Amino acid sequence: MTVTTKFKSGRTEPGEAYVSDHSGSPHAHFMRLTSYALVPLGALSAWWILGLAGKTLDGVRAEIARPIPAIVLLVFGVIGMVHARRGMDDIIEDYVHDDALKAQALVANLWASRAIAALWVVAILLLAAPK
Amino acid sequence: MADADIDRLAARRPLSPHLTIFKPILTMMMSIAHRITGAGLYVGMAFLTLFLLGAAIGGGAFSAVSWIASGFIGNLIILLIVWAIFHHLLGGVRHALWDRGLYMDPRGRELLAQGTLVGGILLTVLVLIFKTLAS
Ligand code: HEM
Ligand code: HEM
Repeated sequence: MTVTTKFKSGRTEPGEAYVSDHSGSPHAHFMRLTSYALVPLGALSAWWILGLAGKTLDGVRAEIARPIPAIVLLVFGVIGMVHARRGMDDIIEDYVHDDALKAQALVANLWASRAIAALWVVAILLLAAPK
Repeated sequence: MADADIDRLAARRPLSPHLTIFKPILTMMMSIAHRITGAGLYVGMAFLTLFLLGAAIGGGAFSAVSWIASGFIGNLIILLIVWAIFHHLLGGVRHALWDRGLYMDPRGRELLAQGTLVGGILLTVLVLIFKTLAS
């Protein structure tokens, strides 16, 4: 991310110059660390996600409502959406240049990613709960 | 120079990368494919969440969301998500190798780009075959 400063160059008015907020390296490191966790989680989840195709309701429950798939998918959803939020922040910062729109898009992304992660967890817990 | 002139000149200055004049090369395509699959998975996870919520509630709620994973459209959505996971995952492995300074020479990075493309499709097909055999 960039932040505005009071710095005034020959070409800009005060507050118009952009400098780094030094969040770049921690950001890259965060994407890497989450991605290491997502390699095994993603590969296993892909297996069970493919198993959802064409299933009846009982078939879906049988696929998901076992301890190992439920736990792996749950953790995949949470780490995946935390990772995806930061990744989508990158995309927004790269392509949305209007300051107001960019701020709105970043907030929308924050809440969309939280909503997806939260509902994902609720859904899997409900599916896996003993009936 | 007047401000308006500077603005007009700045607007006319081409942005890099020059999408229209660069020859598409595989490493570049795999770079953008990593971004597309990442954004696609975001949307895919939203659809899957709807599907799982519908299944968790059951009854009419499941009928309302079952199209996400069955029928032609549903099978396509699930297959695309699985492919996107594998393609994006291999793209991540590629980043991890590059972080360690490996496979950065022309032959190495070409190999990784081919590996990502072919590997993503191959893993999807393999999982599809095993899953079909297992059920
Ligand atoms: C399956 C295992 C996964 C691995 C190994 C992985 C790896 C990575 C890595 C290393 C990056 C950073 C790329 C860069 O620095 O340019 C990244 C970006 C990203 N990832 Fe993932 N990821 C995985 C799963 C996911 C999932 C499940 C989602 C979505 C729900 C996702 C969404 C994104 C997005 C939106 C970006 C930003 C793309 C960009 O800036 O070009 N990833 N991923
Ligand atoms: C069709 C043309 C192109 C498209 C759509 C494109 C798209 C992208 C995207 C989405 C990223 C971020 C994903 C990532 O880091 O893996 C990226 C990064 C990058 N691209 Fe391109 N690119 C194109 C051509 C080029 C060309 C021709 C060059 C150089 C001459 C270039 C240099 C770079 C560099 C240096 C980065 C890394 C930036 C960073 O680490 O923050 N790209 N490109």
